[in-house]
Amino acid sequence: MGLLRDWNYVESATQIPALSEMIREALIHALFIRNDRVLPRQIIADLTRTPAVTVKVKDDGEVRKLVNVLNGEESTVSLGLRAEDYNYFRTALGVGKDREIGLTVRAKTLLTHDWLVPEQRGVQLDFGAYGGVEFGSQGHTGIAQVGIDWKALYDEAMAKGHLLPFVPTVPLDFSLGDGLWGDAPYGSYEGEFAAYVNAVRTISAYGHRTRFGFEEVAGNGSGYDLLHAAVPMLTEFAIPLAVALRLVAKPVARKTITYSFDDGAKLSTGLDKFARTSARPAWVHVTDQVAAGVLRPGVPSEAFMVQVSLAGTPSGLAVREKAADAALAGFKAKAADVPNPYDVPADAYRKTAKRAEQSLFVGEVRVPAAALGDFVARLKAFGQQSAAKAGLYASLRWSGTVSALPTFEAVKDPTHQYDLSKGVARLVDKVPGAIFVSRLAHLWSEDAGFRERMELWKRFKLSFDSAHVMQPLVAP
Amino acid sequence: MADVDYAYRRLVNTLGPERVARNEYDRMAYSHDFASLPKIALLQWQLYPDFVVLPQTTEEVAALVKLSDESGLPIVPRGGGTGWYGGAVPNRGGVLVDMHKMNRVVALDPALRTVTVEAGSTWHDLARYVESKGFVLPFEPTNAVASTIGGAINSGLVGFGTYANGALRDAIVNLEVVLPDGRILKTAAGADASGAFANVTPLFLGAEGTLGILTKVTLRLRPKPEVTKAVSYGFSGTAQAARFLQGIVDSGVTPYHALLLDKDHFVMERVLRPETPDPADLALVALQGPKDDVADQEKTIDESAAKAGGRKLAPEVSARLWARRFTMYSARRLSKGLVVSNNLVPVAKLEEAVTQARTLIRKMKLNGSVQAFLVDSSTASLAPYVLMDDTTPSGGTALGFVKKMGDASLELGGHPMGLGLLMVFNLRKMHGRSAPFLAEVKNVLDPSRKLNGGKTVEVWTKFHFPGIRAVPPPAMAAGLNLMAFLRRIKPTQDKFVKAYEHERGS
Repeated sequence: MGLLRDWNYVESATQIPALSEMIREALIHALFIRNDRVLPRQIIADLTRTPAVTVKVKDDGEVRKLVNVLNGEESTVSLGLRAEDYNYFRTALGVGKDREIGLTVRAKTLLTHDWLVPEQRGVQLDFGAYGGVEFGSQGHTGIAQVGIDWKALYDEAMAKGHLLPFVPTVPLDFSLGDGLWGDAPYGSYEGEFAAYVNAVRTISAYGHRTRFGFEEVAGNGSGYDLLHAAVPMLTEFAIPLAVALRLVAKPVARKTITYSFDDGAKLSTGLDKFARTSARPAWVHVTDQVAAGVLRPGVPSEAFMVQVSLAGTPSGLAVREKAADAALAGFKAKAADVPNPYDVPADAYRKTAKRAEQSLFVGEVRVPAAALGDFVARLKAFGQQSAAKAGLYASLRWSGTVSALPTFEAVKDPTHQYDLSKGVARLVDKVPGAIFVSRLAHLWSEDAGFRERMELWKRFKLSFDSAHVMQPLVAP
Repeated sequence: MADVDYAYRRLVNTLGPERVARNEYDRMAYSHDFASLPKIALLQWQLYPDFVVLPQTTEEVAALVKLSDESGLPIVPRGGGTGWYGGAVPNRGGVLVDMHKMNRVVALDPALRTVTVEAGSTWHDLARYVESKGFVLPFEPTNAVASTIGGAINSGLVGFGTYANGALRDAIVNLEVVLPDGRILKTAAGADASGAFANVTPLFLGAEGTLGILTKVTLRLRPKPEVTKAVSYGFSGTAQAARFLQGIVDSGVTPYHALLLDKDHFVMERVLRPETPDPADLALVALQGPKDDVADQEKTIDESAAKAGGRKLAPEVSARLWARRFTMYSARRLSKGLVVSNNLVPVAKLEEAVTQARTLIRKMKLNGSVQAFLVDSSTASLAPYVLMDDTTPSGGTALGFVKKMGDASLELGGHPMGLGLLMVFNLRKMHGRSAPFLAEVKNVLDPSRKLNGGKTVEVWTKFHFPGIRAVPPPAMAAGLNLMAFLRRIKPTQDKFVKAYEHERGS
């Protein structure tokens, strides 16, 4: 259930003589929407298989043992299961039969959709109960188990005098691990999620406790930065257990200022100008009327709302607010009393998350701030054509790139998901400098450079996981 | 392996005679980097390249790499040669690829705020160029005057601006790399797609030229700040200065750079330049941003300094120190060599780390200085340097300091920086069970070890015979431990400063 597996599957499937006539995109379409009328029986069988056993992880030793059993280094006896569980485990997995048994991780919350090819009758790990966190006694670091909820981590860090620097652009009820194996859109004004990851504790395919990176410091100058290269597909190489995070000091004062814009062009100009200043807010988020209605139901909103989270000393905040006002000139109204979605009690956060997850998301569009207005106009028009009202959550980066997450009021089924994804991909092609980075967009891509890099990753995968334990590659 | 004369003819046919050198002088110039290596190292490695070549285009680099299949000569890429651990120095001769002639700015996109530059350009030149266009680089290495863009990326450097602007990794949009099989790879998607589309850029950070030869780099740019202001403070000891740096992290202020320089640095500098400030343990902080914001940050920093017992120095002293930020090792002129131990340590343990570095310098009877700066909210760079005279038999023993300092940083939860040829024994200590995965990355990309082989993940000697073709990493560590031991039992303290003053006086 990852990019490498799907990509390898699609590549292999297009080699099948019966499917060679089918163009790649039609195949992906059939796989995604499960058009069983056009797919061969073998492929339908591959897509239908699901993990046979789900293990709720409570201890990293369990994962280590499990990996050792699956790679053949230990017998199932070492798992120490009760007799009936033991029999169920062996029968369900087909232990002893001549086939590979893989290991996968269940995402707590997915923003968009799952990958195409499920784990083939293997073991699924559920880290829901594996959510502890330890903060360094000095300094601003923390080691959090992958199952911890983002909101719990955020609140706990704050209580211990730290600020968790990354927030999800769409406030869903994500776990920390969803940033590694899911599609949680974590980030801040200054960086992406990976920028705050110092190290990841994992269990490798050989059953060893293996740490990638350094828990207390950055890894510069220590050889190839495998950690940051692998973060987007880490679970295809190892099972992550805990993440060593770089935090920042809890600021003396914080303030969220909300700017309303009635026009996309003004919004684009404002954001572009803002990113050309040396301002350093914690985050800058944009919502349109649809998304604002989800976050704050019943509160009337302009066409666009920009929330800027500032941190610093009280006197510094005033200076920064003035600078933000100047950069975002063109706003219609400004308010300092609109709450942000993150600094609210956990229950309120969860309620917002429940509302937000009703919408259909297709993935991330990275677009230059100056072109955001153009993109939104096209998105709205596309939503109207498709009878699925479009909305937008977005987050500005210092580089002037906006991480935009289009949303649609549509039934969340594969057909809608695919058609809307395709539509967004088409309109992104018309916006200069923009790129669609959804899971489907990865599978659609036939760019030669991307193929070369994927071939490299495939070779890394086969080398790191020669025991074929971590989501083994599947071919039809 | 093909005949060396044949290889020369093929190289000349590819680049022309003016860009292929094989004379003794040129080869000698490329047989070392910034570190001082004792001559005894020549027994173990063939540090002199067979040829030095200067390509001007990516296609020429690719042709050189492919030529290596014919000649069998290893390839060693080199930027400014400002490294410390032999990453850009041959170990078995071969073809040394000097990237200096690839120094053009390919494109600057003001709308997307990116600049694409050839990897042989120096940071200093690029910084001046982008500044003329109203931008600044988010990052500059401490040796920016000579360090090339490709060299710094290959070394995984930290430097000026990382505390405020993030890691060098985050400043890179894309790399163009010639792989060991001669293919040209773009490491990321064309647009700013962050880690998406199988981005492999981070693999080349700290790769020391062992995975490919960087030819072009696209970097993000920052808008030129309204104001850049340096402020400095004197402290009664390095521990207090270190505490001040820790206080900056706790205060939540984000200076552009925050640096600690100990008293001994100024003692040595003063011998060379009388206008150097009075020797004291100093902290130098650079602030950037809008005028009002900088003023507010300065106020907070002043308060933190006062809490740590610091006294603010005159603005002209701060300005002068900031202007000289790229020339930190002029003390090298006092001896015949200088060695730096680059380490990353947790900010929370900076005070302890600085104290340990000073103790080590004293115990090993060296002349040296401790420098440290903030890298991010969890990491500080600790880079003490010591003077050495590698022309004397005891001179090389100063290299033991680097080993001991690296061990100390590992114990503190940090790690030494740089593996190259001399520090590979740290790989396993640093990465534990993930070290074999790093070796696998090299295996996948360069199975025949054509590019800078025998470094970073293993150490080759100049010999090809089984049994002595590689140095077991523990043997290297043991050798350096022995050097450190010899330093400790040396009866007298080094007296480079006094000797220099005496010589100058006479």
